[in-house]
Amino acid sequence: MRALKPIFTLFLALSLTFALNHKWGSIPPLAKFLDPFQGFWKNAESSDTSPELNLNLAGLQGEVSVQFDNQRIPHIFASNNHDLYFVQGFVTARDRLWQMDFQTRFAAGRLSEVIGPKALDIDRFQRRMGMTFGAENMMKTMMADPEIAAMMSAYAEGINAYIQSLKPGDYPIEFKILDYEPENWTPLNSALLLKMMSATLASGSDEFYMSNILKKYGADVMKDLFPDYPYREEPIIPVGTAWNFKPIPSPNAPADANIGTNASIRTKQKEEGIGSNNWAVSGKKTVSGYPILANDPHLDLTLPAIWYQIQLINQEQNVYGVSIPGAPGVIIGFNQKVAWGVTNVGSDVLDWYQVQFKDPSHQSYWYNNQWKATKQRIETIQVRGGEAITDTVYYTHHGPVVYLQDQKPGNFAKAKNIPEGYALRWIAHEGSNDVRTFYLLNKANNYDDYRKALTYYSAPAQNFLFATVDNDIAITPNGYFPLKWKGQGKFLLDGANPANEWQGRIPADQNPTVKNPARGFVSSANQFSADPSYPYYLHWEFSGYERGKRINDRLSKMNQITVDSVRNLQNDNYSIFAENVLSAFVSGVNTAKLTNEERTAFNVVSKWNKFYDAKEIGASIFEIWQKLLTKQIWEDEFGDANTPMRYPSRDRTVQLILSESQSKWFDNIKTPQKEGLNDVLLTSYKLTIDSLTKKYGPMSDKWQWGHVKHSNVPHLAKIAGFGSKTLFNGGSKTSVNALSESNGPSWRMIVALGKEPKAYGVFPGGQSGNPGSFYYDDMLDIWAEGRLNELLYLRSNDQPSERIISTWKFTKK
Amino acid sequence: MLFILILFLSLIAQFFLPWWVITPIAFALAAWNGQSEKKSFWNGFSAIFILWVCMALFRSLPNENLLANRVAQMLMLPVSDFNWLILTLITGVLGGLVAGTAALAGAAFKKGFFGRRR
Repeated sequence: MRALKPIFTLFLALSLTFALNHKWGSIPPLAKFLDPFQGFWKNAESSDTSPELNLNLAGLQGEVSVQFDNQRIPHIFASNNHDLYFVQGFVTARDRLWQMDFQTRFAAGRLSEVIGPKALDIDRFQRRMGMTFGAENMMKTMMADPEIAAMMSAYAEGINAYIQSLKPGDYPIEFKILDYEPENWTPLNSALLLKMMSATLASGSDEFYMSNILKKYGADVMKDLFPDYPYREEPIIPVGTAWNFKPIPSPNAPADANIGTNASIRTKQKEEGIGSNNWAVSGKKTVSGYPILANDPHLDLTLPAIWYQIQLINQEQNVYGVSIPGAPGVIIGFNQKVAWGVTNVGSDVLDWYQVQFKDPSHQSYWYNNQWKATKQRIETIQVRGGEAITDTVYYTHHGPVVYLQDQKPGNFAKAKNIPEGYALRWIAHEGSNDVRTFYLLNKANNYDDYRKALTYYSAPAQNFLFATVDNDIAITPNGYFPLKWKGQGKFLLDGANPANEWQGRIPADQNPTVKNPARGFVSSANQFSADPSYPYYLHWEFSGYERGKRINDRLSKMNQITVDSVRNLQNDNYSIFAENVLSAFVSGVNTAKLTNEERTAFNVVSKWNKFYDAKEIGASIFEIWQKLLTKQIWEDEFGDANTPMRYPSRDRTVQLILSESQSKWFDNIKTPQKEGLNDVLLTSYKLTIDSLTKKYGPMSDKWQWGHVKHSNVPHLAKIAGFGSKTLFNGGSKTSVNALSESNGPSWRMIVALGKEPKAYGVFPGGQSGNPGSFYYDDMLDIWAEGRLNELLYLRSNDQPSERIISTWKFTKK
Repeated sequence: MLFILILFLSLIAQFFLPWWVITPIAFALAAWNGQSEKKSFWNGFSAIFILWVCMALFRSLPNENLLANRVAQMLMLPVSDFNWLILTLITGVLGGLVAGTAALAGAAFKKGFFGRRR
């Protein structure tokens, strides 16, 4: 019996050790995680940086030197392209390895491998959408281009050289929390991340709503409420610009283009979340006589920061800008001679085709009066702590049938806008060599180089803004635009009819473009690419025109432009939308029917200056009011739970309020009495004050827009404590500074070209992806205050700068 | 003596080996040189408690406790200015418990199997 106690206590010690080394559910392995030698404490970076480091690496061809500035931005000096992209991979991985790994797993549908069965729905979704299928097609195209293949491989080698230098204690903290290890990088991972950009920016679709509305209200209402060109617009290519090409013929719409829909489809409204801006002004309008270019691409903001700043220097180029962690080269930036920037083009590059299968085996489907064979792709999903799951996806020649009948998970938000039994035709599935566009822009010298670079670009389509030191400015809504009949893809399509297919593409050199327009500037803010005189169909709806108009109004009036005046415009909170409707709102309200509290607030919103500044109470009232008003007007007709639909656009609603005040749509069909515009204005106003009072108490500073909006930057995996604090910031979707709760300017850049380019930039975060680094969010406050950092543009390796804090020397092994 | 041995051996071993090396170290040293079970437990506990707290502070102080404060939020510790310190103590207690239990088992082994002559 004496042996019992030792054995029992030993068992206890071993169990305790095991239990604390094991991940239980979402709780990290506690002792392993808290171990101060190899656990999370090791990720706590000291504020001191060692000034010099020598690295001896296999795979390099020559010597490389990297200077890190005071924001820890690397400036890489290499003697050839291979070493340049190798070291770009190495330093990017040093700062962002987990972000790269996680985003790649997310894209490829491989999250279940590391976080278990709860990620199965998202993994299946990513795979059924064909993300890896698209990335594999992209790989074939890129690897057939020797220069790009070499670039992608060198970048991957650099990342792997970094990964191999790590011991488990050196892994980024998120690996320790989720308890898994980084795996080797391949160029396919880079392709997945690039295809994810299309998933983020070019995967919206309203077809189901539109088909339902057409069925319920007919073609006349459709034409009236959902027109193919807005009431108010300022297209990117200025009206009157000549089209200097002979267009190829567009196809004709088939007679029976529009098909019925399955009413059980449930969709979510496409959010107008993207608010990117860019513009360039000619030297005629600037103090320096050289162009100034500005760009702020808007995305769902996260920490680690979405972008990674870098300067790349060798004999062929000296380029500075932001890169995507996981892809080589610079995406938005400048060099000695040129600068460029991008905003999203909302063209229709995603369509749904109804598929009629021969039988439940799904082996063949009806197309052009005959049965055609499907292809099957077997997806195997490894699941942590469980068995691998296989999932068969059927591909038609259109693309994957994302969900077969009754296959869609019931409670999964991302899949809500996917119709069952439809095949997905999507630009992101195409092989493409988009990297070459950036590769060429990085070393571009002039306008011709820019035009050449753009021809390689496919998706997601972007408004490529460009300026040169030779005083050329230009903008081109650019990408692979399918050649379509007018309105093709506004509704769900019959997949059996060949006339419904994409008929090739709009020739790349016939994409809308303008160079050096008379007005002295070019700009874009996600609005229509061109007016109806453009001979091709791109889409029936784009983002609202308000930001574009504000930019154009201001730039037209501005002369003697400087970096500072451009910066003010980037931070402009003025709302053209409020300018258009506020007085109509205010004059429609019968103030005799207001309580005292409501009247006090009414005075505030009546006198509001239409700037969504953080301290404005009027902005809070107006914003909630317009939202509730929109709902009051449309919910009764377009809010049917059995037949999901969407509301008409903001543009159409504004037109209704301003010039159709007798419209029948103001009446709430669910009440016996007849309501007019003034009735819905009053009801929605009262509801606004009621909701603000309920949430924030009687009117006080708590009603200020900055508090109501509650802007913040969350962590990529939403880990509590790893996101930003709550920011007190202005801005709105209809302001140039389109910062909402956590969607906003992911990078603000201004480049003043000249004999020496001078550039400024900032993003909401920092260079490091480590939450335990001082460089994790060191730019956040500067960004939130609307200030910019001067970007350190080095000319040579030995150029002295007091901003350099450390130097790494790489030599080959 | 046991206290110092566990502390030093663990300090060296932990630079190369995973954290759980403290279990065999505390067990073996207590089985070889441990006194009573109770004393062994406290020797093991305090050795690793002190080692882990000191090491955590060594990592965290130059970091101005930036990361510790974030991790404390992640672990949903109550919000306070001393979150990092509480997390440091939790770290020490957890490591201490493992080493203490292992040392206790070592002492029990010594008593049960090797200590018959006493």
